[in-house]
Amino acid sequence: MHIMEGFLPVSHAVGWSLAAAPFVAHSAGAIRRQMRERPGSKLLMGASGGFCFVLSALKLPSVTGSCSHPTGTGLGAVLFGPPAMTLIGSIVLLFQALLLAHGGLTTLGANVFSMAIAGPWVAFAAYRLARRAGASPAVAIFLAAALGDLATYVTTSVQLALAFPDPAGGFEGAVVKFMTVFALTQVPLAVSEGLLSVLVMNALAAHNRPELQELGVFPKEGVAG
Amino acid sequence: MYPVERWAYANRLGRRHPAEKLALAGGMLLLSLTLPAYPGAMLIAGVMAVAAVGVAGISPAAYLRMLRVPAGFVLAGAAAMAVSVAPGRDGWHVALSPEGVAVAASTALRSLAAVCSMSFLALTTPVAELVGLARRWPRLGTAAEVALLVHRFLNVLAGTLTAMRVAQESRLGYASPRQAYRSLAALAACLLPRALDRAHRLERGLAARGYQGGLPVLPSARRPLSFAALAGILALELVVAALGACLGGRGAWPM
Repeated sequence: MHIMEGFLPVSHAVGWSLAAAPFVAHSAGAIRRQMRERPGSKLLMGASGGFCFVLSALKLPSVTGSCSHPTGTGLGAVLFGPPAMTLIGSIVLLFQALLLAHGGLTTLGANVFSMAIAGPWVAFAAYRLARRAGASPAVAIFLAAALGDLATYVTTSVQLALAFPDPAGGFEGAVVKFMTVFALTQVPLAVSEGLLSVLVMNALAAHNRPELQELGVFPKEGVAG
Repeated sequence: MYPVERWAYANRLGRRHPAEKLALAGGMLLLSLTLPAYPGAMLIAGVMAVAAVGVAGISPAAYLRMLRVPAGFVLAGAAAMAVSVAPGRDGWHVALSPEGVAVAASTALRSLAAVCSMSFLALTTPVAELVGLARRWPRLGTAAEVALLVHRFLNVLAGTLTAMRVAQESRLGYASPRQAYRSLAALAACLLPRALDRAHRLERGLAARGYQGGLPVLPSARRPLSFAALAGILALELVVAALGACLGGRGAWPM
């Protein structure tokens, strides 16, 4: 869920940018080290970012009949890993603001925090925990995508509630208010995004095992996933 | 190519230095967040609309189309803000509160002014030049180069995606929701290996030309940074700030 341009007061816009900055700096540093060892990884990052942008512009048929866009955080976190996803996601968010007018420049920090930091890390943690608990890859991918999607909208709700506490109900009232608005629209979407991510990973695992091994999703020696 | 980008190259300000346009849009963005929303935000929205349509020569239809999607989101968000939710003795209460409406109205106005400023920047400045500004800072250099590559790839992949989607649609791939899910999954699963393959081909091509990790490009033909223009932009922003601050507080809305 993008927070629109100019929606947050200055203090909140600056605050969320400062909160997101260390994560983005860490991500950029990790990528710079990786590039020194393998110059070609820069091109791989570019291709991954382009892939994420193009996918996020797809319309997703929702269970309720409405249409919306997948966030792609779950799939991205599993494919590319959360540290890389933070920089890729920040760049994708910048281009979504400039080319599609989704999100904005002043709210970039807040959006990076919810969609390029909170979402990918929650998705990655869900994937790892589910795999360690013995869940099948399909269940793990579903949980990663659905929970990553939910984590972004919970973060966005908290961000909006902090900026606009309810006149009567205060911060909690505002959280309840924004959560209900998003819960109605986003929970079916989180489920459909989870299902779609499972289908995508199934197709990739069936036909593109070398690519997944190159990205590090599967171990290099052919182990059945 | 996204329609925004076509305008970004083909407008009357297309050849101006990107820093000038960034100074105007960035300054107005800052003002739209800090000035009293009424009438400051309206002033900013008006100035930026004139700058985009009147000065840069963007067609009014294209400018409005750019504003349409964010305006819808802003109104939906403001509607949620106008409603007040509070815990009462017998459960949660929902009510329309006057303070809530005032906050919602000023936020919507502010946001609209900010969207007008951002749209001006997006419609007049090519992405490559805007991101190119960040390349001069050594700390941002790597991120800026990755961003330029992402921009190149997203345009290439958007073309591939459109072709694949047409092929699927002409085979009734989106006839039912079930079929649509299968088609979308196939689309994403076919696009990823193509994206990675493109990266590998680009890498091989660059490696054959001595690629060490740097991607130097020639700057595009454009006018040098004009300090007179920068001074004019700063003066305009000061006038808007002064007008907005003087007229603010006497408006119909608090804030």
